[in-house]
Amino acid sequence: MTEVPAAVALHGVKKAFPLGNGRSLDVLNIEHWALPAGRCTVLTGPSGSGKTTLLNLIAGVSLPTAGTIAVHDTNISALPEPRRDRFRAQHIGYVFQTFNLLSAFTALENVMLSMMFAGAIPKPEQRRRAAEILARLGLGARLTHKPQQLSRGEQQRIAIARALANHPPLILADEPCASLDAGTAREVLHELLSVCREAGTTLLVVSHETAVLAAGDQVVDVTAINRPEYRVGAVERV
Amino acid sequence: MTVLTVALKYLRGRFVASALTSLSVALGVSLVIASGLLSRGIKQGFIEGTTDYSLLVGAKGSPTQLVLNVVFRMDVPTPNISYGTYRDLQDDPRVEVAVPVAMGDAFQGYRYVATTGGYFAALPWRRKTFAISQGRFFRDDPPEQPAYEAVLGADVARRTGLRVGDRFHEGEEMAEYPLTVVGILRSTDSADDRAIFISLASYWQMNEVSRKMQVKPLTAVLVRPKRMSDLAGLHRGFNVTAETQAVFPSAVLLNIFNVLSLVDEVLALLLVIVAIVVLLYLFVSMYSATLERKREIATMRALGARRATILGIVLLESCALAVIGGALGVAGGHGVAYLGASMLGGRGGPVANLFVVGALEPVVFGGAVALGALAGLLPAVLAYRTEVAENLAPLS
Repeated sequence: MTEVPAAVALHGVKKAFPLGNGRSLDVLNIEHWALPAGRCTVLTGPSGSGKTTLLNLIAGVSLPTAGTIAVHDTNISALPEPRRDRFRAQHIGYVFQTFNLLSAFTALENVMLSMMFAGAIPKPEQRRRAAEILARLGLGARLTHKPQQLSRGEQQRIAIARALANHPPLILADEPCASLDAGTAREVLHELLSVCREAGTTLLVVSHETAVLAAGDQVVDVTAINRPEYRVGAVERV
Repeated sequence: MTVLTVALKYLRGRFVASALTSLSVALGVSLVIASGLLSRGIKQGFIEGTTDYSLLVGAKGSPTQLVLNVVFRMDVPTPNISYGTYRDLQDDPRVEVAVPVAMGDAFQGYRYVATTGGYFAALPWRRKTFAISQGRFFRDDPPEQPAYEAVLGADVARRTGLRVGDRFHEGEEMAEYPLTVVGILRSTDSADDRAIFISLASYWQMNEVSRKMQVKPLTAVLVRPKRMSDLAGLHRGFNVTAETQAVFPSAVLLNIFNVLSLVDEVLALLLVIVAIVVLLYLFVSMYSATLERKREIATMRALGARRATILGIVLLESCALAVIGGALGVAGGHGVAYLGASMLGGRGGPVANLFVVGALEPVVFGGAVALGALAGLLPAVLAYRTEVAENLAPLS
């Protein structure tokens, strides 16, 4: 197996949720794990095994109880919250299972919002860039449509465009095809993978779908890494 | 895209709720503005409409009724005084000017005011000046030869459509004594605009009692002393008699203002309640909108929006609702005040200077925006504290 630099590296990461009365629920306990850069990794595992929690920790939307999480050599969990937010906006794209598009905004505005939060692209250029990305995903004629006027497949494409808006080096996708029919899921997956591969973006996808498992460069079962004895390299080739 | 455009997009996204919330703010603001304008206008109307004369002599009774009726043409006339009272005043060496006034019936709601040419005289100490826009003043005809000439106030001419040369009378019983319009006054912005001036001789002939009993009744005499130091003596002199009273119009006006200030205090209390209701409505609207949007807020945070950005969006939404409602309210308040003033004016009420923009409008508008910010504060903090992972979890 070729040595690939890590886009994300976890060291001694633990995540526990308080249950009250001094008790807590331990969800994650990852001694060491690295996500190879520029690859598509599919994270799988049973319900409640901590897949989404792991995604949230990598995105910096929640903090680990212990340990460090480095995203492109930046310890995201150690950053103060405003800097963590800015880092996430500029370096991490997020695709949700239920798209999570903002209903009051058009397709174009949904993508531009992501740019506004990142603050990296000059305002006059945001509209052009957003239109360009949407056109690349086949939504050139849907720029002024609101989410509720679009099909589910189109909505997920907008969500992908939004995740790509700031050209982040890392995209996290939580069950991106789970709300789509098989045909649409295949198309959306294909587009997500092709745009990420084209840009050399690291993609971490949480999924149970066979098509997604088959499309990834590697599949990681979260129950396999979520143990103290787990070490780098214990990945399963598909 | 900016934080403001995001806030405005959200408002447009729930158009009906936003419109209703703004409308409630607008109603509250217009109530405050209209009350303030009308209260100020009524006081100003009383001040501007008051007489230049220092003393008013009339029949024993209520001083307020005498002033309201003789000066502002409101309320019912007080009982009559005799012409002799006027003669006494005319002959009094302390009196510079005495003008007799008799309040008669009305034509289409506009009261006949019988007086002499002295009523319209331009004197150095008078603020009020009378000018004719058409025709001339009536002549002070002798009692035995009434000319039945009438001079119309500006509002009377405008509302009744009477012109110089027209003859008119109210009711069949007055058909024998038709009046001829000989002049129309320029507007004086006072109750005189709503009066029909006739000579005393005409009035006495038109009045059945005075005609049959050969008396010359008057309602009041307007008095200006030669020296202000004589005022107290004149006042005392006419008050000790059983038939007459002398009142200072300015003192009565002060009493009226005292009553109005009580009304203002009650109104202020009501307006505070209105402000609290509007604040609560705005708060509930913003609070429920924030609760409904927790997933969207969590999504924005997951996309990299800072907590301060989310706080700003919600606060701006609340302030924008208040700004829109405040602006509509200021305009609407002027509209309501205009309607109120028209109704009051139509009934002879004194209202003036309604549309002079003062401190009221910016203060009320600023207050509405401050209320908007206050109402949005808790929902904004709720949005600020939204936990991202927790609110994405159920659907992600």
